[in-house]
Amino acid sequence: MPKGLRLLIIKEVKDLLRDPKILIGMILFPALILPLMGAAINISTGSLMEKSSGPLTVYVLDEDRGEIAQRIIGSLRDQGVAVRLVGGPYEEAIREISGGGILVVLPEGLSQRIESGNRGEVLVYYGFKDFSMLESLNAQRMAGLLNGIESQLVRDIISENMPGANPDSVINPLSVNEKSVIKGVAQPISPYVLTNIVRMQGLMGPLVIMIVLILAMQVAATSIAIEKEAKTLETLLTIPVSRLNILFGKLVGSVTIALLATVANVFAFTYYIGAITSQATSSIGNLDLTSVGLIPPPEGYFLLGLTLFGALVSALALALTLGTLSQDVRGAQSIIGVVIVPIFLPTIFLMMGDMQTLPLSIQAVLYAIPFTYPVLASQSLITGNYGPILAGLVYMAFFTLFTLYVAAKVFTTEKVMTGRISFKRRKLQ
Amino acid sequence: MAKVVVVRDLVKQYPDRRALDGITFEVEEGEIFGLIGPNGAGKTTTLRILATIIKPTSGHVEICGKDVLREGNEVRRLISYLPEEAGAYSNLSGLEYLRFMASFYYDDDEKIRCAIEDATAISGLGDRLKEKTSNYSKGMRRRLLLARTLMVKPRLAILDEPTSGLDVTHAYHLRRVIKSYSKEHGTTVLISSHNMLEVEYLCDRVALIDQGKIVETGSPEYLKSKYSAANLEDTFMKVVGFAQGA
Repeated sequence: MPKGLRLLIIKEVKDLLRDPKILIGMILFPALILPLMGAAINISTGSLMEKSSGPLTVYVLDEDRGEIAQRIIGSLRDQGVAVRLVGGPYEEAIREISGGGILVVLPEGLSQRIESGNRGEVLVYYGFKDFSMLESLNAQRMAGLLNGIESQLVRDIISENMPGANPDSVINPLSVNEKSVIKGVAQPISPYVLTNIVRMQGLMGPLVIMIVLILAMQVAATSIAIEKEAKTLETLLTIPVSRLNILFGKLVGSVTIALLATVANVFAFTYYIGAITSQATSSIGNLDLTSVGLIPPPEGYFLLGLTLFGALVSALALALTLGTLSQDVRGAQSIIGVVIVPIFLPTIFLMMGDMQTLPLSIQAVLYAIPFTYPVLASQSLITGNYGPILAGLVYMAFFTLFTLYVAAKVFTTEKVMTGRISFKRRKLQ
Repeated sequence: MAKVVVVRDLVKQYPDRRALDGITFEVEEGEIFGLIGPNGAGKTTTLRILATIIKPTSGHVEICGKDVLREGNEVRRLISYLPEEAGAYSNLSGLEYLRFMASFYYDDDEKIRCAIEDATAISGLGDRLKEKTSNYSKGMRRRLLLARTLMVKPRLAILDEPTSGLDVTHAYHLRRVIKSYSKEHGTTVLISSHNMLEVEYLCDRVALIDQGKIVETGSPEYLKSKYSAANLEDTFMKVVGFAQGA
């Protein structure tokens, strides 16, 4: 590496890392705030879950006084519910739960109706006091308890009326065993679970790519605009180092900072997601894709690397050019705010949907955006659909060379000092 | 004496104005040469062309025999430029900034160390060089930047309004440093200023520039005598008056 380039990269990284705007705004803030948010959500959810798993008190107005009513009350007690029997009339019982609570009314004739083969109605009243999450969770618990009681009643009825029969076989006579065929091999996993895993794991790739590109562009545009604003660029252009080395010093310095910022962001985001989902652990997230034959091949990673490199270099060259043509840091950031829209678009469209299912016009727009290809490449790690990416690589190579050429042109000519982007409207004569 | 700067028929045309209109002058080795004129006369444009930042529309510029247009990289090894509005990297200390700049000129650590020692003496900033430059006053920053310009012992130091906007103390320090450094090291200095008294104190020869043209050249004493003026300020007004009347 040429000495001048090495010096410029070291200076760039040192200067940017010491810049509070970059260090706090791009690295420390996300690294601290997201885990803090996750921890806060975790603590509040944890304490809510703890409270909601405590003993549930239910008021019961038993107007039936029959066999089935007794079984329902007994089942509730067996489930650890504190049952408080209340007397009528009905309006008075409702008043018991005006400050919050649950009232179950077992109407007269309930047992008789069920025993004679008819449906019986159970009335459940949920009293709301402060519309809290706890009240909502208690309502869900009550509904779950009643479902369990109903299910047990069905089993009891089947046992009484069909001696020797297995109640579970009567309720679910068909046992459906779903398997997913991946690359010609049947794997013991349901298609819904599999697609959910692939979709969830496929979200992370585009998201990280978007974060890297946006951060790198912001760093690059800001770094050159800072040079202009701090009046250091004019001196830099007269020291014995080639203009292209200055350009590449900025590119490499910005990538280094962007990668650091990405590590901080991804670490923080992963912790945040982990923290907020730890209370509701799902079996879906625990499954390893490699165990079902979805191992991304090396060529997939190679293509992802190539597209990402091309996207990064072209995005940075674009950002440096625009940063150079801006008057100051604020101007550079405003322009970058507009330019990052093409980076958002493919990520947003492809994170939640497939390219093939989009309308043709949107597909055309996405294929025209060079930043689409890293996202497609990250998805092709699982799908193995490399066709569009290989074609896109040629297009990306041209785009990257073009942006580099424009950046080099701006840097090696006096445009680096005299070029301006102006949004001022020309006055009409 | 060898000619360090040769400028012939220099023209710089911007879309909306002609900044330089056929400027010609020469600067000899060890000389302090001043370009003096009002704001917008073309001083900074001339210096920027010599410093390889912008290109002329036409004309010829040579520094130590090297063509500024065709041999920009070689020219940048010979010159050191102090822009009128210059800053230092605010997140680096004064010493880090000096080391960073010196490293582009020298490969040898010992030479870099000597350059930094020179810069420390030139700036007179002492221990304040260990502080981040964001803590410096305008005068301190200018002293650091002048030290950076001179520490690499350039064949040609190009100083654009070196004392502009500084208080008397800092301006006095900078003028003394420029004069003594040039005498001591035989460094050729090309300086621009609209402060006529400063130029009279510093320069061996001056070129009076107005509206992109050089209207007179000579030593301050010669020009004052030629136009029977008490100082360069009077001289300039008389020359410009003649030029505009012509």
